[in-house]
Amino acid sequence: MSEDTNKMVVENKKEVSLEKAQTIPGKQYIPATDIAETDKELLLYMDMPGVDRKKVEINLNKNVLSINGQIDYQPNGDLKLIYSEYNSGHFTRRFELSNEIDQTKIEARMNDGVLFLKLPKVPEKQPTAIEVN
Amino acid sequence: MFTRFANAFDTLSSIQNAVEAARRSDFSGYSTTQRRVYPFVNLFQENDNTVLTAEVPGLKKEEIKLEIKDNLIRISGKRKIEYPEKSSVHRLERRNLNFDRTIKLPVKVDVSLVKAEYQNGILKVVLPRAESDKPKSIEIN
Repeated sequence: MSEDTNKMVVENKKEVSLEKAQTIPGKQYIPATDIAETDKELLLYMDMPGVDRKKVEINLNKNVLSINGQIDYQPNGDLKLIYSEYNSGHFTRRFELSNEIDQTKIEARMNDGVLFLKLPKVPEKQPTAIEVN
Repeated sequence: MFTRFANAFDTLSSIQNAVEAARRSDFSGYSTTQRRVYPFVNLFQENDNTVLTAEVPGLKKEEIKLEIKDNLIRISGKRKIEYPEKSSVHRLERRNLNFDRTIKLPVKVDVSLVKAEYQNGILKVVLPRAESDKPKSIEIN
């Protein structure tokens, strides 16, 4: 049993099947995401290789945060593919946020295909220590 | 391929070894496909150039190591992922962190002409074929 957990598991990108038709042709994938939480904020790290920061769309509607990243098919579009282990496609994912998040203070940064989102929590919701007399 | 053995168990184990060797070896006929290895690559061909692309987000150029010899290309690196202190992690999906992979190409490469670039998390290596590897046509008198 313990041997299994030591083996490295390599995962392919998970494809999304959308109920609605897309206006932009191409496959859509779910970006691998890490979510971490500190006292003050929620941090999201999303892997979207091939997406330029100008092609990322982040929308917040009510409590749903949706992230779309478009890749550029062109660089290798004219070349003849002789061997393929991975597919390229656009990225999309939606998250439902709780009321803890201050939606006006969300920050986003993108480097080397990784999107980093900082979602600060509303100050009143940050944990406060209560002293016992 | 199978010589005669004194007992049945040796035959069985030699069959098992042969099957495992076949599994580990070259299925596609082009490059090494060691199963369950990262990063995944795509190979393209344009005239005498082979182009290799791989998705390796979150690294700096200096952290990716590329080595080439004849028709072998080795890509290795270590991705550092850090979370702030005192954070609790709710979801961890980015798991492919360290990689070291050697790929066998269909042609021998001219190492001095290789160009590699890394942009938006995608590594792209252009590998021109070595002159010595190109077939030369011979006239018949």
